[in-house]
Amino acid sequence: MMTGPLLLFAAVVTTAAIVVGPKFRGAWLALTLLGAAAASGAALSVLTGAADWEWRGAFPISGQLPHLLLDGLSALFLLLVAVIGAAGAVYAGEYWSDKEHPQSSPRGRAWWSALVLSFGTVLLCANGLHFLIAWEVFTVCAFFLITLENAEREVRAAGWLYLAASHVGMVFLFAFFALLADKTGSWELGPMRDQAGLAPLFWFALLGFGVKAGVFPLHVWLPSAHANAPSHVSAIMSGVAIKMGVYGLLRFTSWLPVPPIAGPVLIGLGAVSAVLGIAFAFAQNDIKRLLAYCSVENIGIIFIGLGGALVASSEGNASWGALVLTGALLHVWNHGLFKALLFFGAGSVLHSTGTREMSKLGGLWKTMPWTAALFALGAAAISGLPMLNGFVSEWLVYLGLFDAVNTRSASAWAALPAVLALAVAGALALASFVKLCSMVFLGAPRTQAAQHAHDCGPSMRGVMLALATACVAIGLAPVLFWPLVRRAAASWNPAWATATSAPLPAPLSTLGPVQAALGLAAVGAAVWLWRYAKRNGFKRALTWDCGYAEPTARMQYTGGSFGGIVSGWFFWLLRPERKWHRPHGVFPTEASQIERIPETVLEQVIGPVAAAVMRVSTATRRLQHGRLQSYILYLVAGIAALAVLVVLSGGAQ
Amino acid sequence: MIIIEIILRLALWLVLAPLLPGIINKVKAWVAGRRGPPVLQLYYDLAKLWQKGVVLSTLASPGFIAGPAVAWIAVLAAAQLLPLGPAGAALSFRGDVLLLVYLLALARFCTVWAAMETGSAFEGMGSAREVSYAVLSEAALITAVLALSVHTGSVTLVTMLAPAAGAGAVLLGAGLFTVLLAENCRVPFDDPNTHLELTMIHEAMILDHSGPPLAVILHGASMKLLLFALLLTEAVLPLGDLPALQAAGALAGGVLAVTMGVGLVESLLARFAFRRVPMLLTMAFLLCLFALLMAWKGGAA
Repeated sequence: MMTGPLLLFAAVVTTAAIVVGPKFRGAWLALTLLGAAAASGAALSVLTGAADWEWRGAFPISGQLPHLLLDGLSALFLLLVAVIGAAGAVYAGEYWSDKEHPQSSPRGRAWWSALVLSFGTVLLCANGLHFLIAWEVFTVCAFFLITLENAEREVRAAGWLYLAASHVGMVFLFAFFALLADKTGSWELGPMRDQAGLAPLFWFALLGFGVKAGVFPLHVWLPSAHANAPSHVSAIMSGVAIKMGVYGLLRFTSWLPVPPIAGPVLIGLGAVSAVLGIAFAFAQNDIKRLLAYCSVENIGIIFIGLGGALVASSEGNASWGALVLTGALLHVWNHGLFKALLFFGAGSVLHSTGTREMSKLGGLWKTMPWTAALFALGAAAISGLPMLNGFVSEWLVYLGLFDAVNTRSASAWAALPAVLALAVAGALALASFVKLCSMVFLGAPRTQAAQHAHDCGPSMRGVMLALATACVAIGLAPVLFWPLVRRAAASWNPAWATATSAPLPAPLSTLGPVQAALGLAAVGAAVWLWRYAKRNGFKRALTWDCGYAEPTARMQYTGGSFGGIVSGWFFWLLRPERKWHRPHGVFPTEASQIERIPETVLEQVIGPVAAAVMRVSTATRRLQHGRLQSYILYLVAGIAALAVLVVLSGGAQ
Repeated sequence: MIIIEIILRLALWLVLAPLLPGIINKVKAWVAGRRGPPVLQLYYDLAKLWQKGVVLSTLASPGFIAGPAVAWIAVLAAAQLLPLGPAGAALSFRGDVLLLVYLLALARFCTVWAAMETGSAFEGMGSAREVSYAVLSEAALITAVLALSVHTGSVTLVTMLAPAAGAGAVLLGAGLFTVLLAENCRVPFDDPNTHLELTMIHEAMILDHSGPPLAVILHGASMKLLLFALLLTEAVLPLGDLPALQAAGALAGGVLAVTMGVGLVESLLARFAFRRVPMLLTMAFLLCLFALLMAWKGGAA
């Protein structure tokens, strides 16, 4: 009942925020938070059991009558938009302050609200044309946010790459919606699973939404865009924007029929994305690039879940499908929370030290204890460790896949590699995040900048604390969040409304208390051991390490050496470029080794193809030289060719 | 009643676990014709370490001590999920096997975190090896678990471990034994005896720990060894089909046999070069994979 007014209020308030944003910071923040609260209220009312909210306008916009729909699926994503949108707005006030960025900060506020508004519109639109328009607006808003710091060359390059890749995806979406409208005779969207002829359109949707989701190998824009954007933008890009791609796929696999091979293909893409994404992440030296590649991995996990759900529903709605789907939906949320937390933490490090390179950091826990502790929590959560939220969603996906393998039917063959991929990706994620945390926060500071770091202020810290609390809450009490996910799963596949209507899958109600007990025990043991050891007597000394007399920060293990073993396994893919300057002579003066991990897909696949296209285009461009005589010649030749064609075809009849 | 049972279980794990390294050392000494340290040596060491003070690196944060504590809790919790033959598990629910695998991952995260606190290159080296080889051993472990799951059609440890692993039991046993050696840092993956840090994994990670935290780490490592020995025995032997007393005897015998097997391997094999470690682990993974395929083809669920 309240859903409609709340949504209207949220839209009005957010629009107002766009207008007042550049001039009035305080008012903008208040309006943004108000809008987020209203949108969350609307989303929650649908998720907690209210009926779907639907509204049809009487006045056409660009030739189509507006049709808005908020069902369980879009409500789940709308809630995420509201939460991360609000968190990022609070964070940006301190992180990207007017004082430090007088030019871009006011502009950034307006674009931020515009982005949030366009996310909301995408989620609500149930008309193909309006969906496309909202999608394009969101893409463009994100571009302007990524390039806030447009004085930097790298930032501009990342922005252009993002814009180009997004529009390649957009072409497929144009094709998708246009063909859909052509085949159904209207731009109206809604459930039409019975029209089997629409199934091939899935491939357009996969390519179009896959680019935005950043699934391997369509992820080429993602690492540089996430790394070069301001951190609050990276957070919403990684936490929400790539999830829009997931939303698109979920939405249209739910409404349209899909080809039978779609499920296995999605599982395969997800498995590849999970393993290779995290392999790339492990090799990175840039904090935010590592986080960005890790998003590719997590999108892979979500794709595995979605693919599994498709396979299960094609096999007569096997009950394991509901498990993997709820796991994937919960993972959308979890990844949104902990990835935003991690990007905020990375932003805090960047803000305080001015560098994103792990090899220039180290020992930050002393100067930035809050950031270090909260980042560590996020790292443990994203590695899928028990007690935190990442484990709950991965566990649901695993459980569903195990059940699928146990059916020993055809679907088992798709689930089996997915389980192995998840296992490998899980262990690699742990390795990557141990590396990231230890290089940045542990050991000795490697540079002056790292030595003189300072912790972030109250609003950045508060936002991180809130996100970390959410991660812990979902981990300890998954029971509370289950109804929301169940509602979304039921609106994806109504047949599972009954399968998931049991209040809880029995093990989840056990898992919550177990995790809580574990958490208590772990905290208790840590505190107790600290106290006991302290009573026995602490002696502070240099790191012993078998007899160091004068250890220096440069003797520490580096990120490159930490990842060396695994980088060796993925040598064929990572293709690291090494430059050696070896020591020579009896008294060598200098030596160096530079190693760079290239963006393999971009530089070695897309790059050459793009270069070839450019060469052809340049050659063709010689035809356009501005000499009128030649143009007239082209015309005459063209008409002559047409005439010949007409004569010939006429002769054939 | 339940409280008494849980206390008994905890006591069993806490008290019995340090016996295993003692047995291994005794076997090694026996093969080499030495008298060797007493079987209870680890108990003496733990008692001594527990009384000592701690030398902390100037770089170390509270995580240096919290890490071992959390890792210890994680292993102890994982142990409670594992059934003790006829006595069943302290806690059993659908999907507990995945919690067990991820609790071991949590223990790894905490141990490596604590190691990296000191900013020493040796600890970095050990940690890098630990997390990298864990990628393969975790894949092998999940495959083994999946094989058991397919064989029994269940995702609950108690049910999965009751019957023998069927036709693939030998393959699964060999695979799990290799994983046991790798996860517990035994020869041929690692040598718990040498203190030549360049060649080590686990010992290199705990170089800077001392006093009670070191005791916690050593005790946790012995519990992890017992956990893997139990898992291996229960996966291979059909304990569920035996009467309670015989099952308990078979379980104890199996664990003893596995422990002595570790000692024998350690006496007869040299540690492998690190570049061969991934191959050995891949072999373990393949063994588990074949066991999985055999479980799939054998007997309908």
